Amino acid sequence: METTETTNQQTGFWYSEWAFALFVAMISAGIFAGTHMYYVYHVGAFNDIAIVAMLQAGIEGGSYGPAAAFGASFLFARVLEGPLVGILDIGGALQTGVGIGIPAILLGMGVTAPLSSFPLALLTGAVIGLIIGAVIVLIRKFTFSENQSTFGADVMMGAGNASGRYLGPLIVISATMASIPVGIGSILGAAIFYAWKKPIAGGAVLGAMVLGALFPILTK
Amino acid sequence: MDTLAIIFESIIIGALIGFAVGAGAARMFHAPSVQGMGAFRTFGELNACEGDPLSHFSFGLGFLFNSWASVVGAGAFTQDVEHRIIPNWAAAALLWKNRNVAETLHNPKKMAFIGTVIGAVLVALMNSTAVAIPASLQAVATKVLVPAANWLINPVMPIVFWIAAIDAGERAGMWGTVLGGLAHLIMGNAVPGVVLGILIGKGVDDLGWNSITKTLLTAIIILFIGSAFFRGFDAKLLTDFHMGVPAWLIEVHKMFGSVVK
Repeated sequence: METTETTNQQTGFWYSEWAFALFVAMISAGIFAGTHMYYVYHVGAFNDIAIVAMLQAGIEGGSYGPAAAFGASFLFARVLEGPLVGILDIGGALQTGVGIGIPAILLGMGVTAPLSSFPLALLTGAVIGLIIGAVIVLIRKFTFSENQSTFGADVMMGAGNASGRYLGPLIVISATMASIPVGIGSILGAAIFYAWKKPIAGGAVLGAMVLGALFPILTK
Repeated sequence: MDTLAIIFESIIIGALIGFAVGAGAARMFHAPSVQGMGAFRTFGELNACEGDPLSHFSFGLGFLFNSWASVVGAGAFTQDVEHRIIPNWAAAALLWKNRNVAETLHNPKKMAFIGTVIGAVLVALMNSTAVAIPASLQAVATKVLVPAANWLINPVMPIVFWIAAIDAGERAGMWGTVLGGLAHLIMGNAVPGVVLGILIGKGVDDLGWNSITKTLLTAIIILFIGSAFFRGFDAKLLTDFHMGVPAWLIEVHKMFGSVVK
């Protein structure tokens, strides 16, 4: 079972606030450069097809407005939320905001250099990430100056652990709805993993995969 | 020529992302006293595998087929590479040797370094292979994992967090209920709202209404108003209450580039 770590273990560079800004700079550089790869080679954008399609609409000569608005609003909300809850959402803030929204804004203004050149893409992403990381660290400095309260961290940890336990049964339920062989494979996998005292989610996925490979799900 | 450039760039991108995702995921286990990076769903799923390397591996594998097919087909990785595959495989690789999660999965340094390797290999491999994934496996992964993951995000996680807030005391329960409900209305998921409710409720329990908790509440209010505006919630609210959306509001939204339906 999880226990909340005591604060004395969380010292040093790897737990520091400014290391966080560095991590955000790194991931943003990678994500922005991923969008550059998509722009140049049409492969490697770090987002879901539906969201990348918005950017594609702009690249194909349509409006960059939707991608820019969608990405920028996500970025704004998540940057405010991140320091408050202690988890910056990679999907909304970075993959959508930095990877789709900001490129759309730049391309909409006719600035193509950061997206056509790989080194420039890395640099642009890193600078954007550093700014985002610094904003989050500053917000934290103004809200949580010293740890006089854990702000319910233990409650959140407990809820995180508890919600994780639901995944196994959910996968089995989902598998039984996909097809009979896949469902049976998933049940067997879950049962075997349970017998081995392992979390059943992994067994449910593997069982579903094995039977799904032998008996593919029929598509209309 | 292009292939070499793609592989070269992919290795750099994958290493950068893997490093940050690994460190961010490990730091999530120390939130909110340490600022983490990832997602509540990632946090929940990492916990679901209970430190068992095989579970972490197979969970990541399930999403790998889907991402791979997506990048081969449409050039887009899906968000799962950073949310699910890298963190879970990094965890699996570390836990293989040492089953103690506190020394492995919760350690930002170890997660960052193993994540770097996994990220570089994965991104280069996926970007450079135009070989199609067996369609049957892709279909299974999509059909089985996507609904299960979606149910986990909504409604399971909101309910579990909500109940935790209710059980954590009257103040956390009240704030969690109100902010959670509003978050589900405005942002589409209650979890951030409930977490903010626990944060403010527990903060006030411990500190009373001082400058920190007041600043927190102000920030939360700004967050909700900002999210509502940027998601077009204000216009939808007026429409749902059978009131017209004034032209000036539509203009304001236009200035920010969003179209009011």
